[in-house]
Amino acid sequence: MLRPTPMKQVRLLVLTEELPRASLALAETESFHPDPRPPAESALANLPGRGYRELYQQARTRLDKIAKLAPLPAEPEIEAVRVVGTEELTELNQWLGEVWAEAFRLEEQLRHLDEAERSIKEQESALANFANLNIDLKMLRTKTRFLDFYVGSVPRENVRQLEGAVGLAKHLLFTYMTIGDHAHVIIVGPTGGKEQAQLGSVLNAAGFQALPIPQSLDSEPKEIQRQLELRRQGLGEERGTLRQRVAAWAQANEARRLEAQRTLVLAEPFVTLDPSIRSAGHLACLCGWVPAREVAGLEARLKDSLALPFQLDARDPRPDERALVPTVAVKSRLLAPFSMLVRQYGIPKYGEVDPTPLFALTFLLMFGAMFGDLGQGAVIAGAAWHYRSKLGRFALFGLLAGASSMVFGLLYGSVFGFEHVLPALWMSPLHDPILMLKIALAWGVLFLTLACLLAIYNRAVVGNWEGALLGHHGVVNLVFYLALIWGGVRLATLGAFGTLPALLVVLALGALAVHSWREQKAPAGEKALVVFIETLETVIGYISNSLSFLRVAAFSLNHVALSIAVFTLAGMMGPMGHWITVVLGNVFILVLEGGIVMIQVLRLEFYEGFARYFSGDGYEFAPLRLRHRVKEGAHPNDPSRLEKTTP
Amino acid sequence: MSHAAAQAYLHTRVSVMSTRLFGPGELAELIELSLTELAERFGLTALTDDQLTNRGKSRAVAQAVVQILLSELTILARPVTATERALLMAWGRKYALFNLKSLIRGKLYDLDQREIRENLYDLPPSVRLSHQELFRAENVLELLRQLEQGPHALIARQAREAYEQRREPFTLEAAIDQRYYAGLARQVMQFHDTDLQPLQHLVGTLLDRENVQCLLRFRFAYRLSPSETFYQLVPSSRLLHRDRLLELVNLETFERVLEALPAPLDALLAGAANLMDVQHRLHSYMAAEAQRVLGHSPSGVARALAYLILRESQLRALFALTQGQLLELPSHLMEVAVGLTDPVCPTGVAAFA
Repeated sequence: MLRPTPMKQVRLLVLTEELPRASLALAETESFHPDPRPPAESALANLPGRGYRELYQQARTRLDKIAKLAPLPAEPEIEAVRVVGTEELTELNQWLGEVWAEAFRLEEQLRHLDEAERSIKEQESALANFANLNIDLKMLRTKTRFLDFYVGSVPRENVRQLEGAVGLAKHLLFTYMTIGDHAHVIIVGPTGGKEQAQLGSVLNAAGFQALPIPQSLDSEPKEIQRQLELRRQGLGEERGTLRQRVAAWAQANEARRLEAQRTLVLAEPFVTLDPSIRSAGHLACLCGWVPAREVAGLEARLKDSLALPFQLDARDPRPDERALVPTVAVKSRLLAPFSMLVRQYGIPKYGEVDPTPLFALTFLLMFGAMFGDLGQGAVIAGAAWHYRSKLGRFALFGLLAGASSMVFGLLYGSVFGFEHVLPALWMSPLHDPILMLKIALAWGVLFLTLACLLAIYNRAVVGNWEGALLGHHGVVNLVFYLALIWGGVRLATLGAFGTLPALLVVLALGALAVHSWREQKAPAGEKALVVFIETLETVIGYISNSLSFLRVAAFSLNHVALSIAVFTLAGMMGPMGHWITVVLGNVFILVLEGGIVMIQVLRLEFYEGFARYFSGDGYEFAPLRLRHRVKEGAHPNDPSRLEKTTP
Repeated sequence: MSHAAAQAYLHTRVSVMSTRLFGPGELAELIELSLTELAERFGLTALTDDQLTNRGKSRAVAQAVVQILLSELTILARPVTATERALLMAWGRKYALFNLKSLIRGKLYDLDQREIRENLYDLPPSVRLSHQELFRAENVLELLRQLEQGPHALIARQAREAYEQRREPFTLEAAIDQRYYAGLARQVMQFHDTDLQPLQHLVGTLLDRENVQCLLRFRFAYRLSPSETFYQLVPSSRLLHRDRLLELVNLETFERVLEALPAPLDALLAGAANLMDVQHRLHSYMAAEAQRVLGHSPSGVARALAYLILRESQLRALFALTQGQLLELPSHLMEVAVGLTDPVCPTGVAAFA
């Protein structure tokens, strides 16, 4: 499981007219990851699918935009797989263009209704404001012989500039209300003259929206409110009618839109492959990466699907191509949530050990050890189960973390912080804190050694022998670290570091220093400084990294200590207060300590583990596939589903 | 990195980058170079690509020049604070707005998608608009509706309303430019202490230059009214502040506007006979002011912006040179194009037509 899935570089030579069919066959196998590098042969320079791709993209965009108004299922059901020709795609695109134009018109009508509703709200606000003005408001509605009025709103940030501009046209601007980003203004000036004509274009440029003054402004306020309410109801009815029209329109063309969606799903593989396809005359070439075990199946599928001859070559990736080879993700339901966390750090490079299984195991061990409680673990697992539909694949993560916490809870004899209810299968951490710290330190040494071994393996497997031997966390580093630990243990138990461990430490550090000196291109003084700092960093780094694992023990102790604190507080209360404090204390421990432990474990995994052996700069295997649901009863890889018709 | 360390780093970066600026007389030397020599010297490989047409070469050089500038902008924006980065990015966003204008024009005149795409700059993510979505819009209205969903909502809404009332690009583009410069002026006001004064000086000079050019163009070439012209201008915190602009737009002749300009613009533009001459003199003035800020300002961000303004101007001159070479123009015309000699244009009203 730690080894990557072996991959092959395949090159398919087909006749250009067979490309759409070949794309569909490749998509159906779900084992072909396109390689967009241009082929070595200069003759294969043409890009045959460009026109098709542009047609597809426009059609897909139109369908997506229409789907905002009239939704379609995300993945359609497909009964028979068939080739979609350019003519069919052109016709479909044209039809979708017409449907989109109708959809856009309907959307615009809905937007105008929204704007009308907003206008009513603004009128209501304006009405409330006008009521406080001590002027004859009817005058605002119509132009007088001498004065011209504009009442409306403008974006707030345009007001100052507009004030100056209307001033030049001999008008005055008065802001009477501000709502959100808009200011409501009254502009007053002399009637007639060229200035009035100029004002229109300035108001347009400033985004001025005229506010109709209610006709019945001199009526009772209740009457005006009633009229506005009637208008709002009218708009609501209009919206209802429009919604019905939209629904009728969507229903009328639903069957054809669904068919369009199916057609586009079938056209997609050829479009996805487009950057990887090169051609010369009638011959087309496409390259990609295929899991070695799938090559035979792929060839068989192509033989079944293609009517004309083709050639499929497969070879192992060259050393210079390793960085481009995609990595097949570990397919395990159990590991899926851990795989998601690993991907937050990066994708394993091809050849590199996939750290997911190791990550899952060590994560669960450390989380349980740091947060061991039967009751609280059960709560975590129960919550994950209860919210499994919302959490998706991550629910399993919660279940496993809770289960690990429960197992360690049994070992520690802890349930909801009660230490004496359940007999400990091992012991409570607080009974022997020194032993807990020793175990945590030993775990750290084991973890770091394992990380170094993986780093050495990852380099050796790609032929980087120098890196495996002398690089960061390589063989020499590991020798130094183990000798340091050996000497440290001797010092603690026998009182002396020991000659052999000391000799190994000095020799390993010397080898690293010489390597570093030779690697650098700088004056001697600078080299000496860098070598000194790097050597110091190696020593301090390994010691501090090992001590970092003491937190595993520290948090197990912390958990017990927090529980004791909760029970001490609860002991000060009456019977009711006691249980309330116990419950709230447990909630506090679950949320706060649980969260902190999670972060600390991830920190240990990412910083102490991944940083040593996992580059995370690989590519995920993303095979060409059809985005559709398989119809019930049909096998997704049944070759008979691909019709053998000429495109 | 502490603030002091970041400032020291920025100053050093700007100083190192400023060695890339052309020295005195260097531009004149470049006019003498052939296309191949220009291509080699500036890494403009498209110029020597025989597969490309002259138009293709021109586009490739324009793209390369913008990429050089924006990659330098990205480097300078890395070690600075959020406010400083916002200012530098706001300045660089003009290229996203160029793209927006190209998209609007393309949709307005129903141009072929490929033609529109060829006229768009490929911009870094920090500066660009969501082109793909905007590009897929099938008319101006849809394009502006989509733009209303993003950070340019206000400008888009105003532009849409302007477009719905008058279906022509001038109002739209004027609104976009006005928002751009107003945004830049607003960004400057976020600064304090040592940064504020040099930035006000630099951006103020930039706004003064744009205001003089727009004022003369709108009033005397497009024949807009004083109020229409004033609305499109952005008051500067340096010379052409609001009240002064209100006075200037009310003047009736080109010469009277030039006479009424505050010092040092009055002396600088005295005797300028036409808009091209004014542009040429203002360009030199802007370059001199930016050079002064770059050389003497204690503010790292002001120096960075000054460098970018100078670099942009020189890269544009380089682009003009390559254009001249591609079109095989005589050297005296290329000297005018890159600002080495004064243009000779007809004077009076005809000059604006």
